[in-house]
Amino acid sequence: MRKIQFALLFALSVLLAGAAVADGSGWDRHDAVREAVGDATPQLGQLRMQMPSVSEDGSAVPLEISIDHPMTDGDYIESIRVFATANPNPEVVDFYLTPLMGRAEVSSRVRVNESQTLYAVAHSSSGDVFVASSDVRVTVGGCLMTSDDDIAEFGQPRVAPPRNLAAGQPGEVRTLVTHPMETGLREGPDGELLPRRMIDTLIVEFEGDTVLTVKMHTAVSENPYMRFFMAPETSGNAVFRWTEEESGDTVEEQMAFNLS
Amino acid sequence: MSNDKKNLGAVSRRSLIKGLGAASVLPMVSACGTMTGRGSADARVVVIGGGFGGATAAKYLKRGNPNLDVTLVEPAEVFYTCPFSNLYLGGIREMNEIAHNYDELKDVYGVQVIHQLAQDVDPVAHTVTLGDGTTLIYDKLVMSPGIDFRWNEIEGYDQAAPQYAPHAWQAGEQTRLLRRQLEGMDDGGVFVLVAPDNPFRCPPGPYERASMVAHYFSQHKPNSKVLILDAKDNFSKQGLFTAGWNEFYGNRIEWVGLSGDGRVMRVDAVRREVETEFGTLHQADVLNVVPPQKAGMIAERAGVTDDSGWVPVNPATFAATMADDIYVVGDATIAAPMPKSGFSASSQGKVAAAAIIAEVAGETPPPAYFTNTCYSLIAPDYGISVAAIYKTDSSGEVEVTSSGLSPAEADRSTRALEAQYARGWYEAIAQDTWGTRY
Repeated sequence: MRKIQFALLFALSVLLAGAAVADGSGWDRHDAVREAVGDATPQLGQLRMQMPSVSEDGSAVPLEISIDHPMTDGDYIESIRVFATANPNPEVVDFYLTPLMGRAEVSSRVRVNESQTLYAVAHSSSGDVFVASSDVRVTVGGCLMTSDDDIAEFGQPRVAPPRNLAAGQPGEVRTLVTHPMETGLREGPDGELLPRRMIDTLIVEFEGDTVLTVKMHTAVSENPYMRFFMAPETSGNAVFRWTEEESGDTVEEQMAFNLS
Repeated sequence: MSNDKKNLGAVSRRSLIKGLGAASVLPMVSACGTMTGRGSADARVVVIGGGFGGATAAKYLKRGNPNLDVTLVEPAEVFYTCPFSNLYLGGIREMNEIAHNYDELKDVYGVQVIHQLAQDVDPVAHTVTLGDGTTLIYDKLVMSPGIDFRWNEIEGYDQAAPQYAPHAWQAGEQTRLLRRQLEGMDDGGVFVLVAPDNPFRCPPGPYERASMVAHYFSQHKPNSKVLILDAKDNFSKQGLFTAGWNEFYGNRIEWVGLSGDGRVMRVDAVRREVETEFGTLHQADVLNVVPPQKAGMIAERAGVTDDSGWVPVNPATFAATMADDIYVVGDATIAAPMPKSGFSASSQGKVAAAAIIAEVAGETPPPAYFTNTCYSLIAPDYGISVAAIYKTDSSGEVEVTSSGLSPAEADRSTRALEAQYARGWYEAIAQDTWGTRY
């Protein structure tokens, strides 16, 4: 009899786990997310947040957020902020977007400390607020034990421009820079806390106008990777500038965008 | 290991005693009640796939309850294992030493083996359709379908590409082709290995392959190099591999991870050229692409895969969560933290067999335990390993109960012993799975 009860309980828990819907609901249970939403009533189901449901390496979990929304001067998505409620610091990364991007879609790789629900909050310039969520289970694969390798230095900026660029059409841009993104929360081999050393922002400009500002928090993975869109109307020069917090050191990459 | 066997033994004895009685007392149990033409068998079980997971499940089903009617569907008459296929590339093992057949399953255990491709599964009608049009009816279905590739996820790596740039990630002709290409390469050439992001079959596999190819080069083509372009920043047993590479191969092996622009976005298989995420072009003399993967095709046909392309299962039994009476084991499943390995598949095959035997007998499946060891050879007498024991926790997820990794600092005799253990492991699991004796 006990066995049968056990089996029933088990079946029930599996059903419940399978029924967990990641549409952004439950956002109001978390202070950081509630603060980001503000006074507005957020719309659920429009913002899309894609992460793998099971991740074998919590140190770099792919994250993609997008929404079908105009990106015109009159009405555009002006911010997308991401929260990992069970991380030591719930703030993950904030994207401040502009109409120059042409498409509201951003990707990165982030640290997820343990299995949890992550939230994204987007604000439009006209005052709409959108919330999405994603359930991530983090497990270290048995064959995936890793070791600490060399500590990355700040530098080696890389930018992959859009392959074909037509005036006003959003083209995909990928960026990467080498940086340890040391959180100040981690112990070194000697048991002492390693000092905090973080990149504060990535700012992207096109012909002097800001296209995108990315504010990074401790959950952005080592060697920050950002993918987004740019939709320039004319050929011109883009500047990608990463700035370290505290030191204020910067690393910059310039690239000419030639419209076809 | 011994736990596994004890549990299974206990179940099989109970099933033998109670099996028939329970089924007649509880006519509503599972689909057995609706089956006709079952003859005197307790239940009809069809097993799709004759690799580590499927062959093990078929054997342990019959071993646990000889009164089950077990049919194994596997297209190949000779099965080549991925484990130790890298040793063939290194020139230290031949293909006939990683080849297995189904004689023991047929002759000793009474499994009916049909060499056909399973084309389709109807989970409602409980039928499997084979390549020759035959339809099999099942009460319980076990699938161990392995992997399929996500063609064109790396641009240009389509179904035609492997004849020029082999994947060799399903052992057999592809493995032979890759070795022929390595043998035909001029000294001073570059072997480029494109490694995928997680999850994929055999997490340490690409790095053992790099080791074995570097070993072959050190013997025959001393001026040749190995370049690994990786879509991730960390890999299995990384510290041990890196130290071993430094010791044996110096700068003959170069690894470029994700942050170093190692992720390959485009392949020209004919010209053996690859392009990375940030536009670096690499020219290979031999190009080996291990593409992104998903569950074997038949799992998708049966409708048991989710949007990740893999099969969610209840880890206590390895029953698929998306269909009744279908059990899926091995690389096709979402079983992390268990890796996608032959050993995991074998362990899962035993758990699924025990669960089916119990359910047919109207009993509760025994608690599930799993074991896995991944051995890798860096050189013929230099082995490393990672091992773990798993169980299902109260929430129904798989958890690690204990685990271990080869020590970072160890003398050559320890590494030589591990290489010996690796050979012993292979012989033991080949005998357990297919009855192959060395």
